[in-house]
Parts: sequence; structure tokens; C-alpha cells
Amino acid sequence: MAYAANQSILFDNVSKFYGDVLGVNRISLAIGPGVTSLVGPNGSGKTTLMNLMTGLIWPTKGSVRVLGLTAQDPERFFRLVGYCTQFDSFARGVTGREFIYDSLRLHGLTHKEAADRTQESLERVNMTEAADRKVAAYSKGMRQRVRLAQSICHHPKVLVLDEPLNGLDPMARAESMALFSALGKDGMHVIISSHILHEVDRISDQVILLNSGYVVAEGQIQGVRDEVKEHPMQIMLRCSHPGLMAAKLFAQDHIMEAKLHDDGRGMLIRTRDAGRFYSQLHEIVLEGEIDLEAVAPADDDVNSVYQYLIGSEGATV
Amino acid sequence: MSSEGLAIPMRAKAEGYPWQLWRTQLLTILRLELKRNFFKLRGFWIYLLAFAPAVIIAAHAATSRGRCTLEEDTTILAGIFELFYLRLGIFFGCMGIFTRLFRGEVIEKSLHYYFLAPVRRELLVLGKFLAGVIAAIFFFGSGVLLSFIFMNGHFGQAGRQYVFAGPGMGQLGSYLLVTVLACIGYGSLFLLMGILFRNPVVPAVIILLWESINNVLPAMLKKLSIIFYLLPLCPVEVPAEGLGTLFTVVADPVPIYVAIPGLLCLSALTLFYAARKIRSMEISYGTD
Amino acid sequence: MAVYKRTYKPYSGELTANWTRFTILPRYSLAKIFDSKILIGLLLVSLLPFLVAATIIYLTHNPIARTLIGMRGENILSIDNRFFFQLLKIQGSLAFLITAWIGPGLVSPDLTNNALPLYLCRPFSRVEYVLGKLSVLFFLLSLVTWVPDLFLYVLQGELEGNGWLMANLSIAYAIVAGSLLWITVQSLLALALSAWVKWRIAASGLMFAIFFVAAGFGETFNQVLRTYWGHTINLVYLINEVWADLFGVPTNVSFGRRGVGDPRTLSVPLGVAWAVLLSVCALCLLLLNRRLRAREVVR
Repeated sequence: MAYAANQSILFDNVSKFYGDVLGVNRISLAIGPGVTSLVGPNGSGKTTLMNLMTGLIWPTKGSVRVLGLTAQDPERFFRLVGYCTQFDSFARGVTGREFIYDSLRLHGLTHKEAADRTQESLERVNMTEAADRKVAAYSKGMRQRVRLAQSICHHPKVLVLDEPLNGLDPMARAESMALFSALGKDGMHVIISSHILHEVDRISDQVILLNSGYVVAEGQIQGVRDEVKEHPMQIMLRCSHPGLMAAKLFAQDHIMEAKLHDDGRGMLIRTRDAGRFYSQLHEIVLEGEIDLEAVAPADDDVNSVYQYLIGSEGATV
Repeated sequence: MSSEGLAIPMRAKAEGYPWQLWRTQLLTILRLELKRNFFKLRGFWIYLLAFAPAVIIAAHAATSRGRCTLEEDTTILAGIFELFYLRLGIFFGCMGIFTRLFRGEVIEKSLHYYFLAPVRRELLVLGKFLAGVIAAIFFFGSGVLLSFIFMNGHFGQAGRQYVFAGPGMGQLGSYLLVTVLACIGYGSLFLLMGILFRNPVVPAVIILLWESINNVLPAMLKKLSIIFYLLPLCPVEVPAEGLGTLFTVVADPVPIYVAIPGLLCLSALTLFYAARKIRSMEISYGTD
Repeated sequence: MAVYKRTYKPYSGELTANWTRFTILPRYSLAKIFDSKILIGLLLVSLLPFLVAATIIYLTHNPIARTLIGMRGENILSIDNRFFFQLLKIQGSLAFLITAWIGPGLVSPDLTNNALPLYLCRPFSRVEYVLGKLSVLFFLLSLVTWVPDLFLYVLQGELEGNGWLMANLSIAYAIVAGSLLWITVQSLLALALSAWVKWRIAASGLMFAIFFVAAGFGETFNQVLRTYWGHTINLVYLINEVWADLFGVPTNVSFGRRGVGDPRTLSVPLGVAWAVLLSVCALCLLLLNRRLRAREVVR
């Protein structure tokens, strides 16, 4: 999908080298509103990309523009951008409330405005009770939440989150994911990197897969999955006569495999052409001999795409 | 929650430059730095550097009982100022205060919070520098002032006469002026070192040794040091002694109307260069 | 729960001797330290006094060589206790630079990066940890102090002959004892500061500050209070006093305007010098004991 320059995050042939070590190479991306996941193994360049996006590092080559602005104009840029980094560190001796309040004062807010917005962000992440304790005494999850609160306190249009779910308990993770989803639906650009693939899968509108500093794939998850022709689509079926269904399906040449489940009603189909499969399934069901209970794709999620494109050995397509 | 970003306060956008915003941000940085880094128990070494001579002089004032003369004590105070405060106290104090402003934040991995704020990096440099200068001048200026008071105070009427009717006030003014200039000069230098070098102690030690041998350097090389411009501003000459006198090279002192603007210009240039360097600085918190 | 196969077995092979465990630290520390170009430079500079002294000793015993290079006169210098005393003073200053560069980086990174629990959760005690770190400095500083000095002592003895070696054993003793004392003081101070401050750069700065500022402060104390006790916080002064006694040379001579009887011209008693130096070592050990823990307390 094409976005106007002032509505997207643009990477224009960006490369970043740390001496001889490659960070990212020849990245060209246009990231629109919504929730975008950055996925990749350790060292693939996710944090480098985020740091480039937010001006903490400068590209060796190419340019980065966020909503038409660059980090060289910090007064406008950082009003629109919030970044929750991976660094779990704070200034010495600061409390959670002071941490957020000081950040808002740097935006030029008055004392009252800053205090009000501080309270609002602390409530947003459920940190009001511990807000006046020193951050050094927080648990990891509390520190994570307070950093998250600081990154959203100024109501940015672009929110960059580097592994924001680290250290959070399941309840806090669910709340955070709900928050990110809500922000994405609100038109904000939310860029998340995470290793908890099944969770980011639930809320991501699009995914960017990185490996060894290169973009391996980008786009909506289903679209990316459709492009991966080397790995046949896997589809789960539950029906009244799985054996008969398998026999009928095998009449077509695009069906690679049909594995029957032990419970006698489920089956896993592998097909080279999902479109033709669904049409065929439609016809089979209309014949009336087989009652179809459920049909769902088994591998068009981020986890599966990750495995296919990057895999455990870091291999790429 | 709306996601439009906080607007720049309208009043700050008058005349095309957000002066009001810059003022607010500068004051915020000042407040943050003074609160975080100074006036804390872990900064006790600065208090020691600044006030230890005053404590000793106070002890001397309490126990001298007429065994010394005003002239002798004035010379000793001048010696303490030149040899302890200028060459050691203010030097190491500024080294600790100013290198910490940026390099300390890199070590503590907290500098990125400033870089992610809508604050010009040049303003950040200025704000941190001003915070450091305020702290340094406060501590060392107070230390020098107390030393002066204690050294002259115990002479009673003669001391008061010397201070208020004699050259004493002028000397105090000179000492405080030199203290301020030293804090500004060394402060700008160490701030720049904290930005440029991963380990600023190495160049700092080189500068310390260079300043230490200033007496014996040729006239041309003498001019390449801060102490050369500060010493002529000191009100009382300290006679040299020891082996160093054999090798001392005498150079024409710099006039006051050159020394003060010269030092301030040098500091301004150093700060300007620091502001330029920080624009291209990247956040890279390697392991120490 | 039933277990099908027990294939895991703890290691039952040969173990190294307990007393050698601490050598693991210097082995890796030295490998890392010698990557530093600045250290290599400092070590090379530190060897210069040795080379110059060796040249002087050679020339002293070789009139033909002296003539060849155009030197006149019987002797350049007398190679005696004063000679070795001055040499040790120069080497001591260079050893300080090496300590200030290397010392702070030995403990503070382990504390800053929470690596200390990794050592202490193994059969490795805090004493072994400190010994391991100290041995790095002992090795490096010995290379630039008593080891080359003993070589020069032997060289002088061999060139002089006539039982010079045995007659001047006190010089050898002074070299070794004096060097070891200075190495111990500096090393413990460096480790203690490194453990206390946790920031390597600050620990380096503090090393310099303690030596320079303490000297300046001590002098301030002496000038203001017309005394000599200010020297007790000047570690360089104290070690010079101890070395002077070990080598049997006169103590600090004061050039200047001060008249006879001015207390500022007097020296700190030798016993006080020893006491202060040993107290510094004890204080450093106390500090290390306090800071080197496997746990972190957040206040």
C-alpha cells in the first residue's frame, strides 16, 4: 500500500555499518499507520532499524524520514515520535513519576500540564502506586512499564517499541498488547519488535522480517505467506468423513499431503494452491456427502513465516 | 488518547524562534543536572577539594595566637590559591564534574533519554555546561571566599583594615574572578573531552602534566595553556622555590584586557565545537 | 516420574590444585590488557630508565667506551645506593602510571556488568578473586621495578668484581623490599578504588587525584599550620622516606627560603611513614571486603 510521505516512515536505501560489521544493508521501506512488527533473529538488525528511525544512530548511507521529518530537527521530530528502547537503565536516584515528569518538562510543558500528563500515563500502565518509589527498587516488569509510560506520555504519532513485552507477566503483557492494538487502530504508527511471535501476530497489521541486516519480507502476514511458494500452505480441516474428503481432494494435483488426525475427524492438508483448494472444498461441501465443521489456515502466522523464511539455521529464501 | 503529538507552546513560536521554549528547556536541563549530579552525598569529593583548605585555614586561625604576620599569611594564601586551588582543586574538580556530564550518562546508559527529547543537542550542551559551571563556581568560589575570610579574619582590626581599607577586597575580587574563569575554561575543555573521548582521563592527565610544567616551557608554548592566562590575574605573586626556579622561563604576562576575553572566547569556541560534535554523536553503549 | 536413561553424570575427572585456581584471572586479564597500545607504550617507556642505567653502568666500567664517545673524566656517576635509589624513584613514578591505567579496569567492569556473582557462584572465593587481580598488577609492576633493577645490580656486581655483590646485599634487599612495598600499596589502592567507584574512568581519575591532590593538600596543611605532618597524606613522600631509609641515603632535602628550625623543613618519622603506608593497605583491604559481594543492595 502506498502512503504519502508525510504519513509514513520512509527508509530510502539505508545502510548502516558499525566499522566492518553490517548493521542493515540497502533497506528501503515505507511503513504506514497501524501496528507493524519487526521480526528476526538476534543480530538481524531490528534494533539498528529502530535506532535509525529515531535518530539515535545515523545511517552510513541513505536517509530516514518519519512523517516527513528527520531527527536533525529534534524539536518537531520528537514531539511526534516516542521510543521505548531496550536499555533498561535510568538516571540515578530518580522515581518513576520524576522520570516521566522530567521528560514532559523537556517538551516545554508547564509544571501543572506535565504533572497531569504524568499521572495519565502512569494510570495507563497501572504504575500509580509505585510511581513515587525509586526506579532502582522496581522489578524488571515495573521498569518496563514506566519506560513505556514515558514513551507515550507526550501522545506521539509514531511509537517505536523495542521488545516491549520483556519482563512483563502475562496479565501485563495482555494489557500492553491491548494498548498497542488500540493505539494502532487510532491511526498511530506502532512499530514493535518482539520474539513473542504469537502475541505480536494477534495485533500486527503488517510484518517486516529481517535477517542478517536485510529485509527478507514485508507486508501483511497473509500476503507474505502467499508469496512463499516453496512451502505449501497448510490448512486444518474438521469434517464428518476425513478419509472421503482426502480421497476427493487428492483428485487434484495441487494437493501435496493429507494427514489424518488421530481423533478421526481432523486432517491437515498441504496444498500448493490455496485458492484452488478453497474452490474445490466449496464444491465438495456442496455435494452434500461430507459435513464440514471447521477450516482454518495452519501456517499463515508470523511464527510460520519466520520459520519458512529464516528458520532455525538463519537460512533465507 | 489522541496521538497528535504535543504542540509547541504557542507563545514560544513568536518571532520565528522559540525563545520561550528554549528558556524553559534550558532551565529544565539545569534543574535536572543540578538535582541529579550535584549537591549529593556521592559528590563529597568536590566538597573536600573545595573546602578542605578553608578548614585548615580555620584551624590555623583558631590556633595561631599571634605567631604569624598578615604579610606572611597573605603570601601563604596566594600560594594555596595558585598551587592547590588552580592547579589541583579546580582542575580535578572540573574534570570530575564536567566529564561526568556526558561520559557519565553514557556509562549509566541514560543519555538517550535526552537525545529522544525534543531538545536541540546544542541546547543540551549549553544546559549541561551551565549546570557544571554553576556547581563548580559555587563550590570553589565558596571555598576561596571562606579561605580568604578565615585567613584575614583572625588578625582582628588589622585584618579588617587590610580587607576593607586596603588591597584585601581587590585581592578577593581577583581570586574570585580567576576562580570563575578557571571553572569556565577547564569546564569547557573537560566537557569537550567527555564528548570526544571514551576515556577522558588520558587527555586530562596530559593536560595536567602540561600545565604543571608551564613554568619551564618556552614562551611560545606557555601561551598554549589555561594557567598562563590565569596566573597574571592573581593578585599576589608567589615566589618560586625549589629546583623549578633553576629552569623557569620568564615570559611577558598577558594583559588583563587580553586574558579575560581571550579565555572566554576560547571557552566559547570549545563549547561551539562540542555542540557541533554532539550533533553527530550516536548512542552506542558498549561494555566498559 | 520414571526416568528412562540416566545419561547425565557430573564431571569425575582430574581437577587442578585449589591453590592454582586464582591464576585463571591473571591469565585472561593479561591477555586482554596486552591488547592496549597505551599499555605497551607505557611498558616500553618504563624500560627506558633500565636501559639508560645499564648504559651508565657499562660506561662507568669501560673507559675505552667513554673515550670513544668523547666523555672525559674518571667516573660519570658513582654506582651505589644513591644510584639505585634515584632509579627506583623514577621507576616508581612510571609504575604509578601503569597502575593508574590498568588498575581501575580490573574490578569495576566486573561490578558494573554484574559479573562478580558469576565468579563467586563457583568454588572461587573472594580472596582468590582479589589475589588473581592483584597478581596482574604485581606481574606488570615487577617487570618495571625490581626485576630489571636486580639485573642491574648483578650487572654492576659482575663488572665491579671484588665481592661488590656480597658487600652491597643491602641494596638488593632495598630494591626488592622497596619495590614490593610500593607495588602492594599502589595495587591495593587501585583495586579498592576500582571496587568503590565502579566507573573505570572515575577510578582512574581518583587514582591521579589521590596522589596529586593529597600531595598538594598536604603541602597546604604544612604551609598554613607551619608543620610537617601534612606529608603523612602524601604517599609519594612517604614511600620516598621508606626507600631512603632502606637504601641508607639522606631523606628529603628542602631547597628554599625557610630557615633552620622551621618545622616545615623536618621529615615525618620513619615509623609514621611505615604505619601510614600499611594503614592504607589495610583500609584498601577493608574496602575490598565491603564492596566485593555476590549480591547487590539497592537503596
